[in-house]
Amino acid sequence: MKKKIPLALVFIAGVSGLVAAFVPHPLVKAGDEIMRNDVLRIIQSFAFILALSSLVSVHTSKIRTRRHKWPYSIVLLASFLITSVIGLGGGVSGRGILPTQIGNFNFNIQTIYQNVIIALSTSMFALLAFYMASASYRAFRIRSFEATLLLSAAFIVMLGVLPIGDAISHHLPAFAQWILDVPNAAGQRGIAFGIALGGLATALKIVLGIERSWLGGGGA
Amino acid sequence: MKIFETLTRIDRRIIFLALGGLIIFSLLFPRFLKVRVFPPVAKLYEAVDKIPPDKALILDISYGPQYQAECEPMAYTVLRHAYKNRTKVLALSLYAEYLGLAKKVLDDVTAEYNRNARSRDDSLIYGRDYVFLGWQPPPIIPILGMGESIAGVYQIDYYGNQTDTLPLMKHIKNYNNVSILVALGGGTGSEKWWAQFAQRKFGLRVGAGCSAVLGADYYPYYQAGQFTGMMVGVKGAAEYEELASSRAKITAERVASERMLSLTYAHLIMIAFIVIGNISYFVTRRKK
Amino acid sequence: MNFDPWIWIGALLSLAIFSFLYKENPVYYVAEHIYIGVINGYLVTFYWHNILVPILFKRLFSGMYLLIIPAFIGCLYFTRFIPRLSWLVRIPIALFMGYYTGLFIPVTIQADIIKQIQATLLTTQNFKMWNAGALGIVWSVILFVGVICTISYFYFSREHKGALRVTSRIGIVFIMLGFGASFGYTVMSRVTLLIGKLQFLMGDWLGIIK
Repeated sequence: MKKKIPLALVFIAGVSGLVAAFVPHPLVKAGDEIMRNDVLRIIQSFAFILALSSLVSVHTSKIRTRRHKWPYSIVLLASFLITSVIGLGGGVSGRGILPTQIGNFNFNIQTIYQNVIIALSTSMFALLAFYMASASYRAFRIRSFEATLLLSAAFIVMLGVLPIGDAISHHLPAFAQWILDVPNAAGQRGIAFGIALGGLATALKIVLGIERSWLGGGGA
Repeated sequence: MKIFETLTRIDRRIIFLALGGLIIFSLLFPRFLKVRVFPPVAKLYEAVDKIPPDKALILDISYGPQYQAECEPMAYTVLRHAYKNRTKVLALSLYAEYLGLAKKVLDDVTAEYNRNARSRDDSLIYGRDYVFLGWQPPPIIPILGMGESIAGVYQIDYYGNQTDTLPLMKHIKNYNNVSILVALGGGTGSEKWWAQFAQRKFGLRVGAGCSAVLGADYYPYYQAGQFTGMMVGVKGAAEYEELASSRAKITAERVASERMLSLTYAHLIMIAFIVIGNISYFVTRRKK
Repeated sequence: MNFDPWIWIGALLSLAIFSFLYKENPVYYVAEHIYIGVINGYLVTFYWHNILVPILFKRLFSGMYLLIIPAFIGCLYFTRFIPRLSWLVRIPIALFMGYYTGLFIPVTIQADIIKQIQATLLTTQNFKMWNAGALGIVWSVILFVGVICTISYFYFSREHKGALRVTSRIGIVFIMLGFGASFGYTVMSRVTLLIGKLQFLMGDWLGIIK
């Protein structure tokens, strides 16, 4: 029962998603809209709450048991708590029950987003440029014909898409664009076919209950 | 010979310094470089330029801070282009965490336009000329649901207004009233979902603005006609800025175009790193 | 130099992240943990104000009592913490995953397979798509050959011998050209992020550049 009920539900839900794509009957469309707009949206919100409770639980446990790097968990929980209070109390546009301005100093959720989240996120990903340069220098070796092809295409695209490509040769930008339009599109399309067919097979296996790894361990 | 051995063991922090230093140098001594426009961007520009007065543009701003440098210039330029033609705009984001970026673009471009307006009719009024629908999870729901009813999916907009009470929404009901959707998904892959769901089922025209990371992957979709046009990375944004400047006579700051010089230097140093790395490797390997 | 406190906060947090380039240090870890905390706080705000309140609670308390059913199903996620009842977590997962998996089947077939095959076939419409006159036929043939050969490379049910060896070798050429183009574009993308960050630090914060 612990596996039969979920498998039956995945089949019913899968078929309802599939049928809605082909049957234009108003009853089917209405049911599909209720499923999408109400049921699944609410369920997904609870999934987020679960993820949040897991995060809080992991870090409080880390603090309680004084595990490696536990002081940082205090920082995490404190910043989470402060931002949540400001967001829940202050509202999306800063006009909630909690005041989010002292004099000229504004601290509503949008201000925090613009100045903290964006700053941190952009910095983290900007680090990738440095690591890419370092990895290219140390690891990118032309040890085979295929690697040479890859590198040649990379150099042509890197130079051709920029104004310097035009300065090197008037034909280089057009050649770079041709590489993107023809051989690149062919290669990517072939790979995409493989992914699509593989994904289709897996989707059918999940809906039909053949693929059961999502059930996890435990339970009869 | 010793120099090549030293080069193979160079500290990576020197590489970091070289890259960072070169980009800082290029920013201190900027130079404007004109870009050549290619068909993917030109087609997108034409599609946005020719939106009929009774139809709207949907702008999906779903790029995150990690793709802001590439996709934000796209958002600014497309929105400026739409506003210049007084096209009705519906903006949304498929992810809650990127709503702040969407709001920033809308606020900035609207304020910029309204600074030059001489009357209320000239100005862009929220609810009449543009609407910020906000966010509804999960991403597939608005993509599919808006084909039937936009107000049905976004019952309240970002600011908490009932969407069906807004003047613009009295005329824009679903995709039949939308000329084209420009999806700026950054690296999220949401452009593909618009093509797979909205374009396939409802025939909605979709233009893509993606991070260069996904650019090469999207060429099959562009080539198959699933994307009406495509901007790839900051270069795509610069091409659109070039068209907006030369054809629509938009004179605003061209952020993407200004980055071309720094990008050129960075690419040259990356190529140099790879070449030097390979030369050092082969020379030292031959010696052994 | 900008004296807005928020710009300073953004700049100092950015430098804290960049300090990782020198070596691992506590300042970086503090900034990293602030990021995770703040982003989750931001998401809580939007899930509460944009989903739970208008779509669930307001409607539930105004008479739409049937919404208690999806709310109850959503609450089953928390049975994960009760070992005896943890199997119930499969129910909301089954509904969510089953529906979207079923939804993706026709989408994948139509958009990712049929449409792409249509674009690969050697038809007059596809020749004209290139806007290159007679060369359009050549590009279409190359594209067709490239797609077939790429797919043949990934066919592992037979040993790559004879004709299959030839087509898979040609396929590798197309795959490598595609990956090379991807790599070139990825470099452009990552470097652009760095340029944007440095523009913020040098322009918005220090005011050295316009």
